Amino acid sequence: MDVLAQSRRRRLYEPVLVWQWPIRIFHWVFASAITVLFVTGIYITHPISNATGEAGGLSRMATVRTIHFTAAAVFTIAFFWRVAWFFLGNRYARSGFPQLWLPSWWRSFLRQAWNYLRHDYRDVHLGHNALAGLSYVIVPVLGGAFMMGTGFAMYGESNPGGFWDSLCGWIRPLLGGSFRTHTAHHLVAWFFLVFVIVHVYLVLMNGTQQKNGLISSMISGRKFRRIEDSQRTENDDGQGA
Amino acid sequence: MATSPILSPSLTTYELLRQHGVSRRQFLSFCAMTAASLGLDAKEVPRVVSALETKPRLPVVWLHGLECTCCSESFLRSSHPIAQDIVLNMISLDYDDTLQAAAGHQVEQIRKDLVERAKRGEAEYVLAVEGNAPTRDGGVYCTVAGETFLDVLRETAAHAKFVIAWGSCASNGCVQAAAPNPTGAKPVHECITGKPIVKVPGCPPIAEVMTGLLTYVLTFGRLPELDRIGRPKMFYRQRLHDKCLRRSFFDAGQFVESWDDEGAHKGWCLYKMGCRGPTTYNSCATFKWNGGVSWPIGSGHGCIGCSEEHFWDDGPFYERLANVHLPGIETTPQTIGVTLAAAAGAGIAAHLAGLAIQRARSKSQAATEKANTNSEMEV
Repeated sequence: MDVLAQSRRRRLYEPVLVWQWPIRIFHWVFASAITVLFVTGIYITHPISNATGEAGGLSRMATVRTIHFTAAAVFTIAFFWRVAWFFLGNRYARSGFPQLWLPSWWRSFLRQAWNYLRHDYRDVHLGHNALAGLSYVIVPVLGGAFMMGTGFAMYGESNPGGFWDSLCGWIRPLLGGSFRTHTAHHLVAWFFLVFVIVHVYLVLMNGTQQKNGLISSMISGRKFRRIEDSQRTENDDGQGA
Repeated sequence: MATSPILSPSLTTYELLRQHGVSRRQFLSFCAMTAASLGLDAKEVPRVVSALETKPRLPVVWLHGLECTCCSESFLRSSHPIAQDIVLNMISLDYDDTLQAAAGHQVEQIRKDLVERAKRGEAEYVLAVEGNAPTRDGGVYCTVAGETFLDVLRETAAHAKFVIAWGSCASNGCVQAAAPNPTGAKPVHECITGKPIVKVPGCPPIAEVMTGLLTYVLTFGRLPELDRIGRPKMFYRQRLHDKCLRRSFFDAGQFVESWDDEGAHKGWCLYKMGCRGPTTYNSCATFKWNGGVSWPIGSGHGCIGCSEEHFWDDGPFYERLANVHLPGIETTPQTIGVTLAAAAGAGIAAHLAGLAIQRARSKSQAATEKANTNSEMEV
């Protein structure tokens, strides 16, 4: 015991597997899908230039739409994959989840927001902090569900009565018709852009300020925990502490 | 002619047409055309013929609320040569305050009597509603013969077999229900309850769609299959976009970018000019207008989506997407998106500036006081 304790004391940091491989794969697949969906979506709404030549031999819009639909399928699979891993994964897969009914979650959330505002990065979390957890639920989860619902509702329009129309077509009248569904789908897409900007910024900021391997953890899966931090594992984060 | 067509519901459509000098050949050709437009098999044509020959005409009460009468105008212009005759003869138009010859108390009595007889189970009628009912201030913004249209509508609908909502006004509100909707105009399905309603939206609906619906009802004695929001699937199943003659230019990525540009001359897709074809469910691409002469997209103008809910509010007509209405602001979705992204960027810049100031301050503090090892480690 003494030997072990000594060796632990000698090291300043120890690696911890935070993101299991399904989470890491999800992250990059999801990020790629969002990128492709946003770029192709912008083209579909505002086709910037005209193709030249005989229409019969061209398929620019058709191709871009096919890419959009394919990326949407990838997005959807990745989405549900991540939802499954929320339940199947380790404690970090659930970390930061907005437990709005817990005062402790709100305290953690407010402390994190305040810490960000005054550039205090000492409060290290291995999983998501409460603020991150909330932002993930708002944009990729709820926003993603909205985009999938409206997206497949519109996808189904080209085959009325078909599978996608039967599954999601009811969303169109709910939003006030096909046209409003298109507008809403386009509007919410921009929230993903805003999310990506803020997400990347805060990742870079936390990663460089905390120096706990946050950035590389989305590839390696491991973050580094200060040994003295590990003495108080109960407090380090798990369920949104 | 011994009896007036309006007062003789016992005559069949065929008998009435013969009285009007329509030949059997013309009659059969109408039946074949209508059956085809309903998507019926050729072997169903005799059923249509037999229905029009033997069944008494459909007694219809045709009400006009807040509207422009363009539905009636469209109906009267049904394209087939004898359709001009048949449309009004196909139904026994027992009450129509725009078209009937009678006037005054007498004509209101016809409607009240019919409702009364239907209440006692002695008569059946179909209620066709053109226009909708203003509901604000007790419905005073549309009155017919001293009664509010809302009351007339409810009273007449209560004993109708079913209700046909002609046009966008009756189906989804149209212009009088557009923001700010000063009279509180509401489409038929929001004014009455408990009756089957078939919506035939369009401003106006296509004449062939109107006659087609009536022929179907007369032939089969029931409403056709309706979609989620109550439109007959046979006419409103598909978007214009899916049957558009310019669709190949859409798929190719060739778009008109301003009126009268090169693309417009070449007949390219009107998507960027705000065409609502991709979001509009109607039969314009199939039947076209004015007897198949042309239709908006065929004539080089985008669809404005007149058969869709909110089409007046979702402007401008010549933009691809609707403007978004925020309190005090009306702007495009992409303006909102770009503004939000720029705000995020500005927020990040401000945040970084805060970090720089904090560091400069702590450095100068560190220089004056003894270095605090903890903060050194963090920075």
